[in-house]
Amino acid sequence: MPKLIVNETEAQLTVTVEESRIDAAIATRFKDRLREIVLRGRKPVRLDMRRVDFMDSSGLGAMIAVRKALPEALPLVLDGLTPNVERVFRLTRMDSVFEIRPANTPQE
Amino acid sequence: MSSSERQNAGSIPRPIARTQSMFHRVLRANPFEVRQALRDLRARFAPAVSADAMGRLELVLAEVMNNVSEHAGDLCAQKPAPRAMHLCVVMNDAGLSCAITDDGGTLPADCLLPRNLPALDPLDLPEGGFGWCLIQGLTQSLCYYREDQRNCLAFTVPFNPGQFSGPISG
Repeated sequence: MPKLIVNETEAQLTVTVEESRIDAAIATRFKDRLREIVLRGRKPVRLDMRRVDFMDSSGLGAMIAVRKALPEALPLVLDGLTPNVERVFRLTRMDSVFEIRPANTPQE
Repeated sequence: MSSSERQNAGSIPRPIARTQSMFHRVLRANPFEVRQALRDLRARFAPAVSADAMGRLELVLAEVMNNVSEHAGDLCAQKPAPRAMHLCVVMNDAGLSCAITDDGGTLPADCLLPRNLPALDPLDLPEGGFGWCLIQGLTQSLCYYREDQRNCLAFTVPFNPGQFSGPISG
């Protein structure tokens, strides 16, 4: 089972991804697990991606499926993207669909 | 004749060939062996190439090998798994030259045709169809041929991507 740590506050759901790779070996289970978490929460979601140092297009597909499962009004922020992960979003133009904060962006 | 005499034989001394890192692996076509091969590949090349080139190499190979895993056996269901693929990566002056061969069904011709990213419909986002766009966008000299029962795909991941750093043209 993919390691996802959930931290829920009044205002939002923070999900920390404790996997170093979101690849074809894990993408389907990752998608199912994360979708279950965000649908149960019904709150804005912040996904902490700091630990993920590799993602392929099956991982990207999982992210898109989760975004589609959330009502459009609920934000899904991808926080702490490492360069390898940010590259996949940029090359596929999916950086225009998600709210993305690369790892070097200072926290507010 | 000693081995050093043999190397130095001939009237013109040969320049010493530069040795470069290479990686070769025979693996079964499934996502878990692909993951392990990529981890080992990273351990081999990461000390010698930039983090950016390493990331592009790993992404391209993941896409290619995932495709092989996904489609291995599609066309020859009567010939059971396991299907194997061979991965070979050699470092040269301009980049990392890669060859992947497998014994799966023939690659559909349209995989190699220039292609656009899937349409970005905000109301119905595409969840797939990115793999070959990434492969085409991140490689140079991409070529494919079929030899007997094997697929052979070869390409180079350049050290300096130049025009490849932005979004893949659509």
